[in-house]
Amino acid sequence: MGRLIDRGGLDRLSAGSRVFATGAAESSYNLALDWARSVLGRGVELVRADEPAPETRCVAVSLVGSTTALGEQLPAGDEPERAVRALERRLGERAGAVVGLNLAAENALIPLIAAAALGVPLVDGDGTGRVFPLVEQTTYTLGGISPAPLALAGGSGELVLLETAAGRVEELLRPVVLSVGGWAVAACYPMTAGELTRVLVPETVSLLMRAGEPGVPRSAAAPYGVRTLCRARIMSVEGSTGHGADPGPPALPSLPSLPSSIVLRESEGLGRLVRLEAHNEIVLALADGAVVATVPDQICMISTGDGMVVDVDKAEPGLEVDIMVVSAAPVWHTERGLALGGPRAFGLPL
Amino acid sequence: MSAVRASGWEAPVTVAELVDAGPLAGARMYGGGENPVRGVRIVDELSVFATVAPHTAVVLIGTAAGGGWAVEMAMRRAWEQAAACVIAPAGGLSEGSGEVLAERLGVTLIFVDEDPLIVAVRVASAASRPDAARTQLVARCATRLAEAGASARRVLGVLNAELPGTSVAFLDRYGRPLAGRRDAAAGRWSAEVTVPDREGGVLGTLVAGGSSRSPGWPAVVRTVLGLAVAPLTAWTAQESLTAARDFALQSALAERLIGSQMSEAGGSGKSGKSGEIGERSGSGKPGDSGDFGEARVAATALGWPVGGPIAAYQLRPLTPAADASLVQALVTGALGQVPVLVRGEGWAGWSASGPEELAERLHHCLRTLPWPCAGGVGAQVDGLPAVGESLLGAEAAAYVAGEGSVVRADRMGPAELLGALPTGVLRAPAAVVLRPLLEIDRDGTLLETLAAVLDEGGALKAAERLGVHRNTITTRLDRIRSAGFDLDDAATRLALQLACHVMLS
Repeated sequence: MGRLIDRGGLDRLSAGSRVFATGAAESSYNLALDWARSVLGRGVELVRADEPAPETRCVAVSLVGSTTALGEQLPAGDEPERAVRALERRLGERAGAVVGLNLAAENALIPLIAAAALGVPLVDGDGTGRVFPLVEQTTYTLGGISPAPLALAGGSGELVLLETAAGRVEELLRPVVLSVGGWAVAACYPMTAGELTRVLVPETVSLLMRAGEPGVPRSAAAPYGVRTLCRARIMSVEGSTGHGADPGPPALPSLPSLPSSIVLRESEGLGRLVRLEAHNEIVLALADGAVVATVPDQICMISTGDGMVVDVDKAEPGLEVDIMVVSAAPVWHTERGLALGGPRAFGLPL
Repeated sequence: MSAVRASGWEAPVTVAELVDAGPLAGARMYGGGENPVRGVRIVDELSVFATVAPHTAVVLIGTAAGGGWAVEMAMRRAWEQAAACVIAPAGGLSEGSGEVLAERLGVTLIFVDEDPLIVAVRVASAASRPDAARTQLVARCATRLAEAGASARRVLGVLNAELPGTSVAFLDRYGRPLAGRRDAAAGRWSAEVTVPDREGGVLGTLVAGGSSRSPGWPAVVRTVLGLAVAPLTAWTAQESLTAARDFALQSALAERLIGSQMSEAGGSGKSGKSGEIGERSGSGKPGDSGDFGEARVAATALGWPVGGPIAAYQLRPLTPAADASLVQALVTGALGQVPVLVRGEGWAGWSASGPEELAERLHHCLRTLPWPCAGGVGAQVDGLPAVGESLLGAEAAAYVAGEGSVVRADRMGPAELLGALPTGVLRAPAAVVLRPLLEIDRDGTLLETLAAVLDEGGALKAAERLGVHRNTITTRLDRIRSAGFDLDDAATRLALQLACHVMLS
């Protein structure tokens, strides 16, 4: 049976969740960690998706919106529970387990907080194996599970239930999140444990807990492989055009934030000119004009100074980084996976 | 039409030609631009690259030009397809990173401000009709050369400005640069055109060179150089006319050439590898190319020899003569284009002819002069730096030469020096010196004996020369001594020998 995520496990999980995660604002991350510690109690049970009975109702829980906003407008503490309860009311049955949407920084902790508050186990796995900007960009979607109905709990007691076609969730969600303060906790993708077993990227929670142990190499957080592209120094950061801001593919709504471009020069070896195209995350890496990495693989800049992941918004000329590519789960490299999380999903005509 | 054009005009234009002198003039180019352009392809998305042929100029539009990443990927694909160049609208890519990538991949990248589609049409036209594009360049050069007028420096300025990636220099007939750029002969290819002087000889050579790999380019350059021959010929004619009108000007120029020889030895020939010849350097270093360079350019325009073996001449009028212009006209008429300058009592200059030919011509010249004159020719020396030495020789030779005759310094001996003695003037003093002897020498035998002894250096040889016995000579010498002459005194001997020479010649 399952294992218990206790205080030590939480610390390892939170450390592991940051190994390749971008977009983690320090204050909101610390806040999420404190929040989790305060509700952890004696611990949360971590189970494999096939351990509960197959008909057990599972719910994905995630933070939506801006993590920076979370640090500025503090949570009341009951948001995860309220969101799940609202979804339970709509579904007419209790959730038997909680699962993460993705496990990047705060998003690894919110499902844990929900599981602790609800007193249900946390399923070992998540819906991306990495992080994507859109709620729809999950292996759950790839497996035919709809994110809706979706319940949203805001920091000031708001509760919103969205019921719509699968492709319109993000579109409806975004203005609502903005109007409740920039962030909210969503409970979504209701499905049975049997379905979850089929669509889950498995065992990523325990993987990150292992990766979060002191002294464990960074590659431990990348189950499907990681490679270092090169070490390079940032020469300039430019606004970019030609992707994302233009109307995206009809299946997906346009991405939040504006595209930018980071130009680097390889510090050693070939001295290549490297360009990272970013839109919410780094979607494309070019070396001397040749494509060396794209989404759905995760491209990160790791500062050579402190070993921390450099957020796209924090990239500045002069900074030296290792560019690492974390391979995505195999399902993302299928035709359907590429359509949902590949270059074209980000508006790159590749 | 091929009668006018050398082969090579039909060779494909290179990217650099398009940018420097063709339909892309004014565009910013990064990279060498040495590839030939055989066609144009408009690329709106990267997949089109699969069918781009080598040597194609790729014009990016639409999503293919939609951002730095797109342009960089296009450059990469262009490199893979061996395209000639990538033409992108300005603003798509920061030019800094574009430059880096162009250098790394060796793909020429060109940013244009105009509508890329219009650019594409123009490039296509130049690529399909390279001869037309080149004719356009030649026409523009012709116009600019006409505007430049008859000035070697301006003509070379136009050539260097209008022929992209090409250095042009004007060399004198000895191969030394007169105007233009010093690195003209250092390129990967070169083109030469000879500029004739007024007499049909070689005034100088226009030399062009560069690093362009375009096979058609040297032919075009040669054509443009040909266009510059007429203005340069006009320039020499104009310079000659001006100088011919003004003897003082020419004379001063010749003086300057002689005076600056030292500067040349340590100056212009060795300073700097490239750059404009004759430009005054900011440092104002004395003796650098400045003055002497200009003087040499002017001398070349006049057809004067400024290098190689030369020999000096000197004309010495025996009666006062003042018409320098007439002298100049007659001397140049006989000796060709040579400098004529005032030197001492007469006129001097130098010529590329050898001493023998020069002496002959000078002799001929003497007959045409309205005053009695003597001529001297100096030894042949190597170039202007040594002309001073030759001029001294010519001056000495002219001094010993008699009226209407020419003496060569390299052939001059004691006889010529003695011959130069003004015997008419010296006859009276000689008679005074010899009077004690002449008084006792009724038939002249004593004078004859004295001359023979002094000339031959002893009684024995004198007896042989005169056909008498040695004792006869001894007896006569005793009589001479008795007249008061101390033949053991060197000064007395020299004076007596001179006097004998004067009295007997």
